[in-house]
Amino acid sequence: MINENSIPSTRVSYTRQQRLVAISKKVRKWLRLIPSYLVLIAWSLFTIFAISWVVLTSFKTNRELYADVWAPPAELQWENYIKAWTTVKMGSFFLNSLIVVTVSVLILVLISAPVAYVLSRMKFKGSNFLTSLFIAGIGVPLPLLFIPLFFLTTKMKLISTLPGLILIYIAVSIPFTVYLLTGFFGSLPRELEESATIDGASDFQVYWRVMFPLASPGILTAAIFNFIFLWNEYQIALVFISEPTNRTLSLGLYSLQNAMQFTSDWVGLMAGVVIVMVPTIVLYTILSERLISGITMGALK
Amino acid sequence: MVTNKKLIVLFLLPAGLIYFVFFLLPTVWALYISLFDWSGFTSNMKFIGLNNYEQLLADQVFLISLKNTILILFLGGAIIFPLAFVLSIMINSGVRGKRLFRAMIFLPNVIATIALTTLWNFIYNTNFGLLSSFLKAIGLEKLSKTLWTAPENIFFAMLVGVIWINIGFQLILILAGMDKIPAEFYEAAKIEGANQISTFFQITLPLMWDVITVSVVIWPISALKLFEFPFAFIGIYPPLQVHTLGIYLYVMGFGKRDPIYRLGYASAIGVVLLAIVVITFVALRRIMRREVYQY
Repeated sequence: MINENSIPSTRVSYTRQQRLVAISKKVRKWLRLIPSYLVLIAWSLFTIFAISWVVLTSFKTNRELYADVWAPPAELQWENYIKAWTTVKMGSFFLNSLIVVTVSVLILVLISAPVAYVLSRMKFKGSNFLTSLFIAGIGVPLPLLFIPLFFLTTKMKLISTLPGLILIYIAVSIPFTVYLLTGFFGSLPRELEESATIDGASDFQVYWRVMFPLASPGILTAAIFNFIFLWNEYQIALVFISEPTNRTLSLGLYSLQNAMQFTSDWVGLMAGVVIVMVPTIVLYTILSERLISGITMGALK
Repeated sequence: MVTNKKLIVLFLLPAGLIYFVFFLLPTVWALYISLFDWSGFTSNMKFIGLNNYEQLLADQVFLISLKNTILILFLGGAIIFPLAFVLSIMINSGVRGKRLFRAMIFLPNVIATIALTTLWNFIYNTNFGLLSSFLKAIGLEKLSKTLWTAPENIFFAMLVGVIWINIGFQLILILAGMDKIPAEFYEAAKIEGANQISTFFQITLPLMWDVITVSVVIWPISALKLFEFPFAFIGIYPPLQVHTLGIYLYVMGFGKRDPIYRLGYASAIGVVLLAIVVITFVALRRIMRREVYQY
């Protein structure tokens, strides 16, 4: 394809008219793109602006905020963060979230990858049915599970505990994770398995030494996706965690937001918002390409 | 073959067990509970058949929640899909920074909903909110006095936030679908003298139909179970205008402020929700079914 704006460099001289045509083409291309740029920049700026505003506000005093919502802080109020981290216990909620989410994601990936491997690469009686059964969970609305799970975890003495939350987090994340990983394992070439088997590797060795490492980009994508999803989750935590010391970070932020009507401490709330946002935004900044291409991969089969 | 069988069982068992006990079993159990009158405190569950469902039909709050949920599904979808398409076409029109724009529009999806509701809460705040002060700054004094979270506005105010978040997910799917269409098709269309609109309908749409099907199925799944954003949208207790079925279920089962503990009734709401998901899914598969072009 000949690019509209590329001027062949082999020719040495142009007539005046040729040059004018080239320039007008370039101008026309830019004019055509202006509406796109305007809309896309406006949309992106809104998001950037909203987030920067939250960060900026979290460093102000409440008095400054009420005086002018747009003005930057005269002095950085780190106290807002110290207060949120200690007095409001966001620090210990942060730790809870870190433990719950990390453990959930590790176990989730370790137990879902073998399922995806078996379902995508071995045909046996009922394998199609099992695949559908695992993936069907994506469509089940989570609120439906609340009441039965509440009684199940109460009976098991796991209600309002971190291990209980971890088990629920793993269970609700299995369908999408299996779906995602089935795509990755399915795309690996079959010859590798065969040659490893010929070399005398056992089935388990084939999986653990050959296939698991090969699928590791996909497994990493699944891990990031679930980490972000579970880190942000508060609906399940709201139902299953009533013990205040076991709150996750999102749930802690939710109760902070609820307390606002008594405290009116907007800047403290914004500090809490920043504490919740930072980990996932940092992860996203580093790994957004991998995350986005991983999510879309399933749709492109 | 024997070792193979062992391996299959061994590999399926751990995840299968957790999935069965904490997901499949509760799903079926919820269907069962929905046939009972049960407060949860006593072990005696009174079987009342479909009575819970009959009561739902006469329950105003349920009907409003149902209406809101359906409205989010259809109105939200009617805005999200065309808008996601327009934005995708713009990103693909030859602008610089394609990846950056895509990443920016997807960004709200990686931020905790509860953090986003806090933000929107402040945007819509009437006294010193960002929207009001922005409108005042550009001279729209009258509009700036609008009570964005008043009963007549709150649903649409909430919907704007939901759209802002969800558009990113649809956008990355649509973009991925567009990107896999080989450039030769567009060149051929250009040579034939097709304009942009007919190129879109003759080439882009049919060639990415499978991707569109996926994104069209994903939206109802996320729309119908919508809970977190409307629930925390306006602080401590979601007003009726933003009740979804998920929220009403929670209120009936666990409602922290005035616990109701009508567990059979709440489960019936969940079953209705599941039924809507299944109906929508089947209907969409019917509607979306058409020849997929191989290329």
